[in-house]
Amino acid sequence: MSEHKIFGQDIYWANFIGLMVLTAIEVVAVGSEFSKAMTLFILVGIAIPKFIMIAAIFMHLWGDKDSKILTLTALFPTFFIIVMVLFIGLTHPEATTGLPEWCRPGYYKL
Amino acid sequence: MNKTKIHARSIIVMSILLLAMAFSPLVSSFPTGISGVKDSGCNCHGATTSESVIPTIEGLPEVYNYSETYELTVGFTGGPSTIGNINLGGFHLWASEGELASNDATVQRYNPSEVGHTEIGNDQTSWTLIWTAPASDKNIEFILHTNSVNGNAGGGAGSSGDEWNRLTAKVSAPIEVLEQANPYVVLSTLIVISAILLVITVTYIFYRTNPDSFNWKTFEPWICEWLTSTDHKKVGTLYFLAGLFFLGVGGIMALMIRIQLSVPGNDFLTQDQYNQFFTLHGTTMIFLAAMPLINGFANWMVPLQIGAPDLALPRINAMSFWLQPVGALLIFTGVFSGTGADTGWTGYAPYIVSETAHVGTTMWVAGQIMLVASSTLTGVNFLTTIAVMRAPGMGWMQMPLFTWSILVANLMLFLSIPAFGVGLVQVYLDRVIGTAFYDAGSGGDPLLWSHLFWYFGHPEVYVVIVPAFGVISEVIATSARRTVFGYRSMVYAMAGIGVVSFIVYGHHMFTSGMSPTLRFVTMLTTMLVAVPTGIKIFNWLKTMHRGSLVYRTHTLWALGFLVTFTLGGISGMFFPSMAMDLHFHESYFVVAHFHYVLVGGTVFGFFSAIYYWFPKMTGRMLDERLGVLHFLTAFISYNGVFWPMHRLGVWGMARRHHTYFISTEEAMGSLPAEAAGWNMFISVSAFLFFFSNFLLIANMIKSVIRGKKAPADPWGGWSFEWMTSSPPPTPSFGHFNHGEWIDLPTLKDSNEEHIGNDPSPLVKWFQSLMVLDDENEEVNN
Amino acid sequence: MSGDYHGDDDHEHQSAWGPHDWSHGAPHNSWAPIIMSIGIGIFLYTVASAYSWGEMVDPSSIPLIFLGLTISFFGMIIWWRQDASFDGIYEPRATGTPFQNIQIRKVAMWMFLMSEMMVFTSLFSTYMRYRLGLTPCVEIYESGSWIVNSQTIDSGEAVNCFLPASELIASSWFHIAPGAINTFALIISSFTIVQALRWAKKPVGSVDEEVRRKRVYRYLGSTWILAIIFLTLKMVEWFVGFYIPEIGFLGLHEHDIVSLVNEGYTIHADHYHPHHGWEDTHLAELAAANPSEFEEYFANIASIEGGYVTTDAVMMADIRVSTSTFFVTTGTHGAHVFIGIIGLTYMTWKAWTGGYTPQNAVSIEYFGLYWHFVDLIWVLVFPFFYLY
Repeated sequence: MSEHKIFGQDIYWANFIGLMVLTAIEVVAVGSEFSKAMTLFILVGIAIPKFIMIAAIFMHLWGDKDSKILTLTALFPTFFIIVMVLFIGLTHPEATTGLPEWCRPGYYKL
Repeated sequence: MNKTKIHARSIIVMSILLLAMAFSPLVSSFPTGISGVKDSGCNCHGATTSESVIPTIEGLPEVYNYSETYELTVGFTGGPSTIGNINLGGFHLWASEGELASNDATVQRYNPSEVGHTEIGNDQTSWTLIWTAPASDKNIEFILHTNSVNGNAGGGAGSSGDEWNRLTAKVSAPIEVLEQANPYVVLSTLIVISAILLVITVTYIFYRTNPDSFNWKTFEPWICEWLTSTDHKKVGTLYFLAGLFFLGVGGIMALMIRIQLSVPGNDFLTQDQYNQFFTLHGTTMIFLAAMPLINGFANWMVPLQIGAPDLALPRINAMSFWLQPVGALLIFTGVFSGTGADTGWTGYAPYIVSETAHVGTTMWVAGQIMLVASSTLTGVNFLTTIAVMRAPGMGWMQMPLFTWSILVANLMLFLSIPAFGVGLVQVYLDRVIGTAFYDAGSGGDPLLWSHLFWYFGHPEVYVVIVPAFGVISEVIATSARRTVFGYRSMVYAMAGIGVVSFIVYGHHMFTSGMSPTLRFVTMLTTMLVAVPTGIKIFNWLKTMHRGSLVYRTHTLWALGFLVTFTLGGISGMFFPSMAMDLHFHESYFVVAHFHYVLVGGTVFGFFSAIYYWFPKMTGRMLDERLGVLHFLTAFISYNGVFWPMHRLGVWGMARRHHTYFISTEEAMGSLPAEAAGWNMFISVSAFLFFFSNFLLIANMIKSVIRGKKAPADPWGGWSFEWMTSSPPPTPSFGHFNHGEWIDLPTLKDSNEEHIGNDPSPLVKWFQSLMVLDDENEEVNN
Repeated sequence: MSGDYHGDDDHEHQSAWGPHDWSHGAPHNSWAPIIMSIGIGIFLYTVASAYSWGEMVDPSSIPLIFLGLTISFFGMIIWWRQDASFDGIYEPRATGTPFQNIQIRKVAMWMFLMSEMMVFTSLFSTYMRYRLGLTPCVEIYESGSWIVNSQTIDSGEAVNCFLPASELIASSWFHIAPGAINTFALIISSFTIVQALRWAKKPVGSVDEEVRRKRVYRYLGSTWILAIIFLTLKMVEWFVGFYIPEIGFLGLHEHDIVSLVNEGYTIHADHYHPHHGWEDTHLAELAAANPSEFEEYFANIASIEGGYVTTDAVMMADIRVSTSTFFVTTGTHGAHVFIGIIGLTYMTWKAWTGGYTPQNAVSIEYFGLYWHFVDLIWVLVFPFFYLY
């Protein structure tokens, strides 16, 4: 892993610099006058590459002999995470009262 | 470190342990302990009781007449009160039965069982009041507090110098009634007796293993070995013993619940006590009995079945065991002071974070947090062990089915339990430091708890049943003397149950008002669970079909399992249908269903496992005649307990209610008159079921002491555990030689029929991701 | 049950207290598990005895909390003492596919991280549920519906709404500073720990052993210091606050940056003034469109000046749910950092004694995986709890 190079730089060092820059952009984005939705978009857009950079390079999920199977291990809970976020995180307390019209009694005039 | 130093340390640690065990029941779960009228209800001035104040109570009969009214005179003599004071004294009287009432302006009534003096009554040393006797036979207790006052309250010295004392009096009924037992005393006594019996048994077993050296010098290293061991077999035995012990404790609580429900309108347990008993019955049975029993066998058998020397992380394994008894102590602390958790094993919010829930609930939550930590560590350990320590040549599809079931169960457990853990921490913080996760008044959402709980809770009930599937697969295959039919489909069915279990949990919450979309999804997925379960049942039947079945005790239990589990599965199919569920929700039909799958499934499966693997674990055969007797009595009485509950449920008998009433008329909330008879029948059967299991205990003790020596493979099984001696050596397989394990077993042709033909495209793709053998050299560097 | 079987490899009874002989192979006995369990039990019990509903009810339990922590830590020391002699020569490796030949403990660490992922997913689900389910305080404020219910304001009742911490934290560069510095601190610490791993892994002979020892313990030590900085700044941000002096050429005025707790953003905040420069647009529109209705309902509590509504009424918000999710989620992350510090203390000490060689350097990697995971979580916590 540590023998790899990115842009001629040592890989950990390059990764480290990249992370610092992305974080700086995050902080500046929040300090600037963007709309809420735009801020969220920028934050998510930056969090994803940061996430991947740390996982792939610092946690050795890329470039080592055992990387592939360990990546699979790390990705294993994905399904369960999605289920939990969908079922718990996104069915909020107003889910019953905030039903769409087509899901309410009387809509189909049966 | 020299020997004496080690010994000294061991003695210190053990005496601390003993002290802790002796004191823990005395510790109340709340600093103020129990407070109530009976014990300190008098707001008396003065620090402690004083001998100089002599309370008196006159006018009480020896034996009362029904509904008769008595005029009582209470008063006191002595103490600092002297004629001419501003105030002379006060009193407070509590009666366990009947009605107290005020006679004049000097006495006031707080409620039918409590009276005290009024402000005018302060200037007296005796008061008169009225007591109406009850209309039925009761043993009645009066508690009188009198306060002698020196009258300096107006002079700035406040209540200093005042003295008080207490008097209790008893009145008998016209027809003598037996003193009613205090259920807490009964439970605590039974727990203590069981613990003492356990200690005696352990000591006796130690004595029998070597009668000549029965002294402290040999006992100390022996017991220290058990307390510190990280050997998977010893930890497994500890799990097994703990599981059996708590199975007994949970059973005792079940019996007390059944005594309460045996007749309508019974008052053996109060509502409050009943709530605690069913809460702790559920918690104990799931977390402290079923899971340790499963872990006991998993600890013992998984390394043996995959040919590993031990688990991957032996010390972590010991850690996950020892978290359990300590967590159990926390869960039970409330019970010893009468304030145990009364929330149900589901601990629904917002009740669990309300101040009306007993203070012991906090300790219950704390104990559960420790059990969550324990389960997480167990999960890490078993997943790693099974994934990485299989003997050379043993692929995924050559693993014995019990190991597969433990793999699937731990995967489910360990991916779902963080949700429960987080929910518990939130509740703990709500109750302790005052956060507001479930405080509806601040906008907290009680349904969130149900979501987090059932996200864990539903996989959890599969966690306790799937290992039983594994056991039954092993037992039926061995008894039918052929490999299990449809090995691959068995594996896929179990894995399918594992995945689907995460998206079915909503069926526990159909009546809770959660998202209708989610309700619809979980209705469909819940029905889907029947498919893999059905596949397994048919595979078992098919395994027996062309085999020649040998009827050993474990075979009988496995057959019993097939019957009861199938019945439980069928009654389970009523619940995914939302319309049916609304009707059956919170009724005894639910109780019947889950006892059919948990007792008829898990417990029967693990009784089968005990008869199957006991010879391997101890090197001694169990007595088959006692075993058959155990099966017959337990199987019949078990069905007697739970089968009638279906009917009670359909009649509308509500679960979690401390009593019920019968009526011959169509009245809301009442059951038909036959319900009383069925409940009595259930209670009697419950006693029979409980005591029939002592046959198993007797059988095990007898066998350990003088059972026949077991051969390495008494049943003709062919998985790895039968290839080593009974009991197996330590380490179980192979030797550690210059940093390498040598002589590990390799998979031979015995399991070959499990191996499929060509790998499927999916398997090929998966293999392409693995570290291949020719790359090992590079990985080693 | 037979307690006296000893295989050929197990003639010597290993001490359950002291260092292990790792070439031994057989299971090693250990007092650590039972002692740690008892300590954890005492800790949970006494915390619950000492506090109830956010109030201290039994001060005499406080010393016992520390007793519980001490006992757990004592167990931990036994655990480390047994581990300290581990030189990595006998590091067990996987025998079965698909993990063949990977170190067993590395696989175990990844398995453990799987459950950690679920822990944080649960916390994030809780947060999403409340963030999406409760109306944001700013929306209620701007809609003016809290004034419509002005009788509730008079009776001292508060509106239930969601107020994210970012309302306070992202309000100025100085409020954001501790969180931002912490982000950089965690990233730097992730970098230093891979450097420690790299130096420990350099093959024997390619590097002077004394240089290796110094590099490894200095890198681990700097990770330790950065973790301490992280927690310190967190305490500053939560409880202490800090002071900005007058710096003329930067245009800074002398003022205090108030901590979250001093600002009133606490788990007990059931009456909180949530507005920080919010504009009451709804009322202004209502006043413009329908002056008579405005007059009827709001004249006595609000007036319009230059298109903006000014009012003497104060919106009170019950934000306990918002604060609970914020403090518990970031607090759980902080607890992970704290556990990391405990581990780093041991590892720095071991590195200082020259304990890490290429043979057992992989131990640093196991810890590193945990540490990078904590960093990863911060990558998500920081934007969603501090910025958005």
